[in-house]
Amino acid sequence: MKKLSLTSSILILLAAGLIISSLFFPWWKMNFIAPQYPEGLNIIVYPDHLEGEIDIVNGLNHYIGMSEFSEENFPELNYLNYLIGGLAALTVLTAILRKKSVLYGLIGLFVIGGSVGVWDLHRWLKNFGTKLDPMAPIKVDPFIPPILGENTLANFVTHSMLQTGTYLVIAAFILLLIPLWKDRKR
Amino acid sequence: MKKWIPAAAGLVTGLMAATVFFADFSPGPTGEAAKDTANKSNAEKVYVPFGEKDDYYLFASGGHSGQMFIYGVPSMRHIRTVPVFSPDSATGYGFDTHSKEMMGGYTWGDLHHPAFSETDGDYDGKYMFATDVGNSRAAAMNLETFTVRDIINVPNTSGPHCAAFVTQNTEYMFLPTRFAVPIGSEYADLDDYSTKYRGVMSAVTFDQNKEKLNIAYQVALPPWSYDLSDAGKKMSADWAVMTTYNTEEATTNLEINASQADRDFIVLFNWKELEKMVADGQYDDVTGQKMIFPEKHKGGIYLVPVAKSPHGVDVTPDGTRFIASGKLAPAMTVFSFEKAFAAIEAQDFSGERNGIPIINYDSIVEREVNPENALGPLHTQFDDKGMAYTTMFITSEIVKWDPNTGETLDRVPVQYSPGHSVAAEGDTVAPDGKYLVALNKIAKDSYLSVGPSHPESMQLIDISGKMEVIQSAPVNPEPHYAQMIKADKIKTITVYPKDEKNPNATYEQDKTKIVRNGNKVDVYGIAMRSKFIFDSKAKRPDTIEVNEGDHVTIHLTNIDFDQDITHGFAINGYDLNIEVQPGQVNTVEFVADKAGTFPLYCTNFCSALHQEMTGYFLVKPKK
Repeated sequence: MKKLSLTSSILILLAAGLIISSLFFPWWKMNFIAPQYPEGLNIIVYPDHLEGEIDIVNGLNHYIGMSEFSEENFPELNYLNYLIGGLAALTVLTAILRKKSVLYGLIGLFVIGGSVGVWDLHRWLKNFGTKLDPMAPIKVDPFIPPILGENTLANFVTHSMLQTGTYLVIAAFILLLIPLWKDRKR
Repeated sequence: MKKWIPAAAGLVTGLMAATVFFADFSPGPTGEAAKDTANKSNAEKVYVPFGEKDDYYLFASGGHSGQMFIYGVPSMRHIRTVPVFSPDSATGYGFDTHSKEMMGGYTWGDLHHPAFSETDGDYDGKYMFATDVGNSRAAAMNLETFTVRDIINVPNTSGPHCAAFVTQNTEYMFLPTRFAVPIGSEYADLDDYSTKYRGVMSAVTFDQNKEKLNIAYQVALPPWSYDLSDAGKKMSADWAVMTTYNTEEATTNLEINASQADRDFIVLFNWKELEKMVADGQYDDVTGQKMIFPEKHKGGIYLVPVAKSPHGVDVTPDGTRFIASGKLAPAMTVFSFEKAFAAIEAQDFSGERNGIPIINYDSIVEREVNPENALGPLHTQFDDKGMAYTTMFITSEIVKWDPNTGETLDRVPVQYSPGHSVAAEGDTVAPDGKYLVALNKIAKDSYLSVGPSHPESMQLIDISGKMEVIQSAPVNPEPHYAQMIKADKIKTITVYPKDEKNPNATYEQDKTKIVRNGNKVDVYGIAMRSKFIFDSKAKRPDTIEVNEGDHVTIHLTNIDFDQDITHGFAINGYDLNIEVQPGQVNTVEFVADKAGTFPLYCTNFCSALHQEMTGYFLVKPKK
């Protein structure tokens, strides 16, 4: 079996670059809008930290007994950038080895990583929305905020959306698929 | 059927139809003035719909309320009252440690003439200064937070009415006095008024980094009353002018006795020269102040004769002239700085009074301006073309005139008796020429009656074309002067930034604590929606328990770093209430001298569970 073409190798290197750059961008965010917060509040998730009006969101969430969003509460934030860095390294390695089998392996890893990521985020959202403090002053039915899209809870409408980091990784994933097609005869 | 019935029925039906289709049932005033089309278009000029903001901030002095009133222009909506010289339970001002200390034990003040800090003769939007005629103090207000940061007591002076005016780069704020008193306010017989009494003026500096006021030096001017003042601009930047009355040195019935002389004076002084005299040691050390005695430490101060008992004296935007408003003489007198400098150079003096040279009037006067039947000129503002607007107290009007020719250009009646007026940036080197607000002393029948005591009245005048009153707004007693600044020059903060170095701050719930040391109890607590936490590890984190006689200090941090989430903190029956703005750390200190059970609660509505934001202050009785 012949090696992957040089173009393919470059595409894979490019993918590695995109993955690295995704470390510096937010991956996901949830935006909260209420009548008295028309400007909106945000929880913005980076691979290694949170941004946005976290304290204000926490302050409001305690009324329904939701646990606090904080960097300490998400152990993932301590190692996620290493995982992503490692994935980038493996991508670089794939570009150097130029072996289709390795590329298949990498794509597999991507799929698994992505699925685990989605599952993890869903798990957290479910935890936050269903494990509400029974002592909370305002009782709401347990709920699971969606990973993508709109949700309404009391006076808040939330919008969850992917951010630049995730789009960069999706772009990287597409770049990894191109060689499979391009070098399908090899 | 009678014949008239169908005809009458037809008429009635027609009338009803006409009423239904054409009568105006919309809410709002229904008088003749409201129907006037010119008034309708004026209404459009001042209506600022929700979502839009006013073009200007108006800072109106609150007179003997000791407060400053903040209005929006052109809507003339009252936005906020900022306490300055008087305690204010609405904001906890005068209750927390810092503001209580600033109050210095006084419970009222008389805030007269506000002045913005300036850079190159233009408002820079950083600080607002004000003086207290009631208890002889000066204050500096920070315009990021609209809170007073420092108040200074001015010794040897009693009633700095003739203030505050700042030099063109805020080097100094001068505080000349309305009442003459002996140095140190010591006892002296009124028969010795001319020899023992003085009208002391203070040169006050403000350190913007430390936010501290300081007295650089004082000048023991003659025992006259100093009324109003202005700092020079551009070519006259090193100079300042102020009006005097009671140069008769009367000690009783001033209404009559201080109105006898045909001429009083404008004091013209060069503050750069005074500064140099102080640097050269030309002063006496009196009551801990560097005091210049003009009869002894010569130079830098001159007198200009002016028609009797003038009120305002205002420097034109280009800095070339100063204009005195006659008050008792129905004229404005225009003087030339250039001619004054030449007269001083040539020693063109007509005599001396109390050791101060009197400049020859005829050498420096440009003209006396006397608009027909305009009486009681008090104070002058300017527009972008340098045209003057003078308030006429007695004839209740604003007169627009040209300082270059003395020609009267326009007049508009106001209701009633304007003291000062304020034009948009109207005392800077670059007035905007858009709006002028007449600060009327008498409201009389302008508003819904609230009994014999009336509000004052502010009237907004559009000066972009022919002068026209376009809005009237009642105001609490009592604006003496105001400042109007372009809104975008003021940059406020909405939340206090975290200051990890502040030893009184507690930003996390689990770091709250109550520290007892003998009979001293220090509480490091937080306020948040919707609870107080004074000690997170206690059985009841929102309870403070002390012993009778304990000295209690409560440091409270508002950890809601969210716009407009202000908390209050009050203890029932203990006569105290403080405010913690978002992110702010505030302290209240008191002695628990009453034993018993006292609920504590948040006084500033903060959230849906504000009513639950309570706790207890328990004071165990002495055995």
